[in-house]
Formats: sequence, structure tokens, C-alpha cells
Amino acid sequence: MTDDRIDQRLRELARDYHRPPAVPREELWARIVAERARRRAAPRVLALRPWLRWGLAAAAVLVLGIALGRLTAPVGQLATPPDSAGVVAYRVAATQYLTRTEALLASFRAEARTGRLDAQFAGQARDLLTTTRLMMDSPAARDPRLKSLLEDLEVVLAQIAQVPAGRAGEDVDLITQGIEQRSVLLRLQTAVPAGPGARVQGAL
Amino acid sequence: MTVAPASSVDERELIARVRAGDALAERALYDAHVDRVFRLAYRLAGDDDLARDFTQETFIRAFERLDSFRGEAALSTWLYTIATTVTLNGLRKLKRRGREIELDHAAEVAGGARRAEPDLKTRLYAAIDALSEKYRTVFVMHDVEGYTHEEIATALNVEVGTSKAQLSRARAKLREALADFAGEWVP
Repeated sequence: MTDDRIDQRLRELARDYHRPPAVPREELWARIVAERARRRAAPRVLALRPWLRWGLAAAAVLVLGIALGRLTAPVGQLATPPDSAGVVAYRVAATQYLTRTEALLASFRAEARTGRLDAQFAGQARDLLTTTRLMMDSPAARDPRLKSLLEDLEVVLAQIAQVPAGRAGEDVDLITQGIEQRSVLLRLQTAVPAGPGARVQGAL
Repeated sequence: MTVAPASSVDERELIARVRAGDALAERALYDAHVDRVFRLAYRLAGDDDLARDFTQETFIRAFERLDSFRGEAALSTWLYTIATTVTLNGLRKLKRRGREIELDHAAEVAGGARRAEPDLKTRLYAAIDALSEKYRTVFVMHDVEGYTHEEIATALNVEVGTSKAQLSRARAKLREALADFAGEWVP
């Protein structure tokens, strides 16, 4: 028997695979109407996923660090504020931010190649975009190299935040091309060198 | 409630009415597409409750996001994209919770079970279940539910050639899994 005939037989036999019952149209419609009404009526509660909790925590530390940096840094000093507990926390948070951004962009680029994108990318990008803007307003942005990187990250993250869930098309191609052309990942890796101690120093 | 049959509904007008908040238009859109959405969810999930959940979520998302529908593809294709995303993501969540059997075991299904499961259909269904997600999805959509490769490619966001290649590979895995039934293929 040829493969074609076997495939034909397979198709015939497979028709009963998970054979659906009659569609419960009215019941489903009632459920849809009720659920939509429930969601409209329910107060919007922000569900904090683990990555979002970490992101908010990092952002909070970053805000604290920025405030301390502004208070303690002399006028004209570049991105090397004096040592203090706040500055250390700021550096840790900034390094976390750069590391997470690097991980997000690397994953995004890899998934874009497969043609499917997880819905979490947009959410994570929005989260990191907030932190990016905080960074741009921090003493770290006085470093021209880091400032340029943050500006590129702002654009890329804003684009990723707008990508519809599950879809990878021309928009995604343009984003990945932008990442490649601006060497964003390479610059991120340079800003966050390997090794825990070096990562903090190299970042800022 | 009067519901216009799908064939008489002008899609663009229907979409415009839904966007304007017309509840009858929402129902007409639902009626036009619910059968295929539910069937696809059921075929992939193999469970009535899950199929209902996935169908419900598909239409809720569709109504929420209809403003973002640009009309580049048919509305039905756009809905199937949402349906496959909702269903596959839902099944992945279940799998993560350990409620599904491990996937991609088609070859293992072939070995040793001949005496224990003599029924060809039973073995075929087990082999389909054991396909990896991408092969099983394409096989079910094309060979079981009759979607075209173009529809599958759009719904899964892959190239048409990828859909064809995955179907070919899925069929090969099923043939391999059922090789010891070779003498019983002729009905």
C-alpha cells in the first residue's frame, strides 16, 4: 500500500478523533454575555506576575537610587555617584534592569524567528520601558554611551510593547532588524559584562 | 432574537455594526463562526469543558479586540488565529500543571503496544495525541477539520511551506507509529 493510500485511510479514521458533540450555541452565548458583563463590572485589578513583581521592586529601588544620587552627586559629576547604601542599591537595580532587558531582547529575537510570540513580551516590554525612562532621567544617562543605548532601548521596547500577542509579521521583522542594525544586544552585553562584581561596575 | 445566517451577512458591515456596539451584530458574528471555533477547540482539547472555555475566551477576546482587526485577512481566519492561540496556550498551561501526558512520543506508541491495544483507531488516536504540539495542530486542522494550508499558516503564523512540511512529518510519524497494522489498512 502506498503512502498516499495510507494517508487517505488515516484521514478517514481520524475523522472520529475527538469528535465534537453538537455545539451548545445558546449556552455558550449566555456564558460569553455573562462573562463580558462580569469583566466590565469587575474593578480592574493588576495581577502581579513574578516577573512584574521583580520589575516593580527593581523600579522602586531605582527611583530611590535616583533620588539619592541626585541628592548626593555634586554638580557636574558624571555617572559615578559616591558610594553609599542607596548608590549600591541603585547600581544593583540598574544592573538587573540591563540584564533583564538583554534577556528579553534575546528571547524576543529568538521567538520572532519561530514566527510565534508569547503575549508576555508586550507586558515585559512595557514594564522595562518604564524603567528605561527612569534610567534616562537618572545620573546614569549623563554617560553619552549609556544615554545612546537607553534611547535605542526606549524605541525598541516601545515597539515590542505594541506587538499583538501571538503574531509575528512585518512589524516584528522591523523590530528585530532595528535591534541588529543598532547592535543593541552587543551594546547591552558590553554595558553588562560577565561576572557579578564586574556587571555592576561595567553597567554604570 | 433574529439572527442573520452567516452567508447573507456582509462581513465589513457586520464588523462596523459590532464596533458600533450593536448587540445583534455581535450575535450574528458569533453564530457565523462559533461552529468552527468550537469544533477546532474540541478537536485539539478533546474535552467538552475545555472546548467551551476556549470558545468562550476566543469570542470574548475577539469582541474586545475587533477594533484592531485591519481586514488584511478574512475575519474567520483572524478568529481561528485567536482560537488556536487561546486553545494552545490553555493546553500548555494544563500541561505545565501536569494534567496532560508528555508529548512527542509517536514512535514510542508504535513499540510494544500491539497486543495491548489491538484496535487500529485506538492506536491511531494515541499516536495523534503523542505527536508534538505543532504536528498535531497542523494534522488536526488540515486532515481532520479541513482547514487549508493558507488558513493554518495564518492562524499559526508560519509559512505555508512550513504548514505543509509539518503535515507531511506528522503523517510520517503516524504511519511509523502504526506500521505493525500495515496489513489491516485496507478497509
